[in-house]
Amino acid sequence: MSVLSPAPEQDDTSKINQENDVILAITDVTRTYFMGDQEVNALKGVSLNIRKGEYVSIMGPSGSGKSTLMNMIGCLDVPTSGSYLLEGEAVSKMSEDQLAEIRNKKIGFVFQTFNLVPRVSVFQNVELPLIYKGVSKKKRKAIVEKAISAVGLEDRAGHKSNELSGGQRQRVAIARALVCDPSIILADEPTGNLDSSTGEEIMVLLNRLHDKGHTIILVTHEDEIAEHSHRIIRLRDGLIESDISK
Amino acid sequence: MKLYLDISESFKIALGAIVANKSRGALTALGIIIGIVAVITTMTAANGLKNTFTQTFASVGADVIYVSKRPWVQMGPGFRFRNRRDISLSASDELQQRLLGRGIVNPSIGGNKNVKYQSTTLDNININGTTEKQIIVSDMVPSIGRFLMPFDIKYKKSVAVIGSEISENLFGQSSAVGKYIKIGRNKFLVIGVMEEQGSSFFGGPNFDRQIYIPITTFGKTIGHNGGRANVNIAIKAPNQESMSDFEFEVIGEMRKIRGLKPAEDDDFSINKLDTLLDAYNNMMGVVVLVGLIITSISLFVGGVGVMNIMFVSVTERTKEIGIRKAIGAKRRSILLQFLFESSTICLFGGIIGLSIAAVLTKIINDMLMPASISPAIVLTALIISIFVGVVSGFVPAYRGAKLDPIEALRYE
Repeated sequence: MSVLSPAPEQDDTSKINQENDVILAITDVTRTYFMGDQEVNALKGVSLNIRKGEYVSIMGPSGSGKSTLMNMIGCLDVPTSGSYLLEGEAVSKMSEDQLAEIRNKKIGFVFQTFNLVPRVSVFQNVELPLIYKGVSKKKRKAIVEKAISAVGLEDRAGHKSNELSGGQRQRVAIARALVCDPSIILADEPTGNLDSSTGEEIMVLLNRLHDKGHTIILVTHEDEIAEHSHRIIRLRDGLIESDISK
Repeated sequence: MKLYLDISESFKIALGAIVANKSRGALTALGIIIGIVAVITTMTAANGLKNTFTQTFASVGADVIYVSKRPWVQMGPGFRFRNRRDISLSASDELQQRLLGRGIVNPSIGGNKNVKYQSTTLDNININGTTEKQIIVSDMVPSIGRFLMPFDIKYKKSVAVIGSEISENLFGQSSAVGKYIKIGRNKFLVIGVMEEQGSSFFGGPNFDRQIYIPITTFGKTIGHNGGRANVNIAIKAPNQESMSDFEFEVIGEMRKIRGLKPAEDDDFSINKLDTLLDAYNNMMGVVVLVGLIITSISLFVGGVGVMNIMFVSVTERTKEIGIRKAIGAKRRSILLQFLFESSTICLFGGIIGLSIAAVLTKIINDMLMPASISPAIVLTALIISIFVGVVSGFVPAYRGAKLDPIEALRYE
C-alpha cells in the first residue's frame, strides 16, 4: 500500500492502512464542476480511510459535497485531483469501462429511489450484475436465489418490481447489491422513500449485513438513521467537518 | 464480460423491451414491412419478367444464328435497313452448300393472313413459310399429327401445321388433323398441331398463334410483298461452344453470296438469342433499377422510422441505462442492447414483409407470369432487414452507451 501512496506526507496514514485492513483510501480529493461559466468546488480536499467491516455514515446538508463524495466512492465519478484507492486499485485514473467493471465487482448500490429495472422480475433484477460480470447462467441461479433469500423475498422472486411495495423493492435492491459479493455496500438515503416502520426494517437488514462482515457506507441526512452506524463523518462546504467513531 | 454472454443477454434484454412495448414495436416494424414487401416484390416481379422472356424465346435457341434483312433490335433510323436488298430463297440454298454440311440451314418467310374454318375466322394470324428443318432449329415439335416433310416442300403441298391456340380457337376439343382450313383464299389441309409453348412475353411473339406451311407454297397463297420474297435464314450451329467462330464464318459466306466488296458494310443482319437478351437486359435493367431505387426509398423511410423510435426508446430509458451502468454495464453492453432491439424489430418486420411478399408473388405467379421467391431472395431480405436495423439503431444506441451514469441516474 505504501508503495502506491502518491505523496510522502501520507506515510502515517499508510501505516494505518497496513495495520487496519483499509479497503478505501481517499487522499486530498477535490472535485470541480463547471456549471455554465461558474466553477463549483464540490470537494475541496477530502482525506478519508475506511477499514474492512466498518459501518460508516456520511452526513451533511445539501451542497456539502455529500453526493459528490458518494459518487466518487461508488466509482461513478473520478476526482479532479487527489487519489482514491479501492482495495489498492487506483480508481482515479480508470477509463469509463474499467470503472464499470470496478462498480460491478466491488460496489453494491442501494438507492433512495430503489432504481430497479422496470418490466423485469425480481429474479432478473438481482441477476443483472452477475450477467454483466459474465457469470454463466447455471452458476447465476444459485447465487441469485441465495441473495433473494438473504433479504427474505423467496416467495416474490417471480414478481415484477411494480408489483412490490416500497420496502420489498428496497430489499430487492439490497439483494442486487449483495449478489456480486462487493467490498462495499453503498446506501444512499436507503430509507428516504419509505415510511418509518418499513425504513426501520431496512435498517435492521443492513445492520444484519454488517454483523455478517459487510462494509457499509450510509449516506443520509437523518440523525436516527446515522445512529445505526459506528462512525459518522460530517461534511460541510466540501470539507470534512467531523469524523467521530463510537 | 464474455462476448457470447454479452450477445445472448443483450438479445434477451432487447426481446424483453420489445415484448413490453408490443404496439410500438409493431408500428415501427410496419415501415420495414412495407419497405421489404416493396423491394422483394419488385425483385420477384423482375425475375418473373425475365423468366417469361426466356421462356418466350426458348424456341429461338441459344445455338441458332438468324440471318435477316433487318436486325431484331433496331437502333437508329430504319431506312438503312429498309433499303437493303431482300434475302432470296436461293441465298439460303447457297449458304447451305457453302457451309459444307456444318450447321443446319432453314429458310423461312413470314406474313399475316386471316384464317377461317367453317364460320370461325381468326384475324391476322402469323403464317410462316418454312421447311421440315424448322423443328430442328426451333426445338418445337407437333403434339398431334406430323410436321412438314421434305416432299411437302418439294411438291408444294397445301398443308399446314397449326399452333395449339389456333387449334383450340378453331376446333375446340375436337381433332384438327385432317380438316381443311382457309388461309386467305386458299384451302390447306391440317396435318399437325404444335405442342403448347406457354406464356408469352408482353408484346412478344406468341408461338402458339402461328401456322407453318411449306415455304414453296407461301408465295402463291400469301403473296410476297410486291412480289419480293424476303427470307430469314436460321442456321443451327454444330455446337454451342464455337458459336462466335461459326458466326464469323456465316458472315463471311453471306458476304460472298451477296457479292460484297471488302470495304462495303454488311447488307444483312445477324440475329441471335443473345441479341434479344442484351436488348432485354438493357431495357429491363434500367426499369428494374429504377423500381428498386424507388422501393428502396420506402425501406429508407422505414429505417428512419426505426431510428426515430430508437431515439425515443433510449431517451425514455435513460434512467434504466444509468441503473445498468451503476451495476456494471459497460458501453458495449448498452450499445449491443439497443442495437439488438432495433435489428430484432427490423428482422421481425423483414420476416413479416417477406411472408406478405411471398403471398403477392404467388398471386403474380398465378395471374401474370412465372415468379417465385428464391432462397437467395429470402436471404437478401433478411440481411437487408438486419442491416437497416443496425444502421438505423446505431446512432441512438451509441448515444445511450455514452451517457454519463450520474446524469442518467438523476434523469426522471
